[in-house]
Amino acid sequence: MTATLTSGNTYFEDFAAGQKMQHARGTTIEEVESQLLTKLVMNTADGHFNEDRMQKSPFGQRLVFGLVTGSTVIGLATQDTAENALAELGLDKLRFRAPVFLGDSLTAYTEVLDTRDADRDDAGVVRFKHWGTKQDGTIVFEGEREVLIKRRSHWGS
Amino acid sequence: MPDPDFSTFPLKKKGNRYQDFEEGRTFQHHWGRTLTESDNALFATATMRFTPLYFNAEYARAHGHDSVVIDPLLVLCTVVGMSVEDLSEGGGPFLGVNDVKFHRPVYPGDTITAQSRVVGRRESGSRPHFGIVTWETEAFNQHGEKVVSYQRTNLVAKRREASP
Repeated sequence: MTATLTSGNTYFEDFAAGQKMQHARGTTIEEVESQLLTKLVMNTADGHFNEDRMQKSPFGQRLVFGLVTGSTVIGLATQDTAENALAELGLDKLRFRAPVFLGDSLTAYTEVLDTRDADRDDAGVVRFKHWGTKQDGTIVFEGEREVLIKRRSHWGS
Repeated sequence: MPDPDFSTFPLKKKGNRYQDFEEGRTFQHHWGRTLTESDNALFATATMRFTPLYFNAEYARAHGHDSVVIDPLLVLCTVVGMSVEDLSEGGGPFLGVNDVKFHRPVYPGDTITAQSRVVGRRESGSRPHFGIVTWETEAFNQHGEKVVSYQRTNLVAKRREASP
């Protein structure tokens, strides 16, 4: 019944080590993504939301919170990597390689590092590596992620 | 009555510095947070987290949950957020996060609290006014069950004035 709500090509069986993806949609980071999400999660560092103070800093402007960048990059990759997920298992080696500023536009890239059986037979585990770049091609974020994904053999229509 | 001279108002300083992070020191982070369905919808929408478990309650129920699931990335961001004043508001960028584990699902109405322990620190070779500190952070729901844990490393500014 739920199989009609998600696409048929994002089940565990559809992933193989070495597979690469450029995700179709990018997004510009504006106030909603930066200031609203930073305050929503109670990050109190005003370098993310005090423009006057940051204009007087070496950065010259507000910085986007690294985990807003990371969540946005993983978000851009989510339809292709976790539409049929049962759970996010973990993240590792998250690196914030260059500053992101308001107005920057992010694009996401993914490589499948590994696939393996899970401890339940209706799903498997996929390990991804994600990268996020901004408009000039600079890598701003990278990280690894493990997701528990449904098997088509059990959940497909 | 004349306006006051604001330069005489003492600053309510926030945040800690490198010298405050003795190895093994533990911080119980402030506030706690009840994560609501609206928090979740806002976060998952703004980040385009198109996993139906996070925003389709019928789909979530068909997968063994009583309601939508809170996006684990929102849980992680909130835990980091609650730790910022203790750990990183004193200045210095994020260097990395390792070994994030999501131990169990979080549901709307669950209340998350967090604590961190200093697990390592060293001077920065290239930046004499900074050090590098690593913390192990754990967060729990209202039943005391662990929901997320991770290690985070930041460049941390040193306190420049003489210690009191």
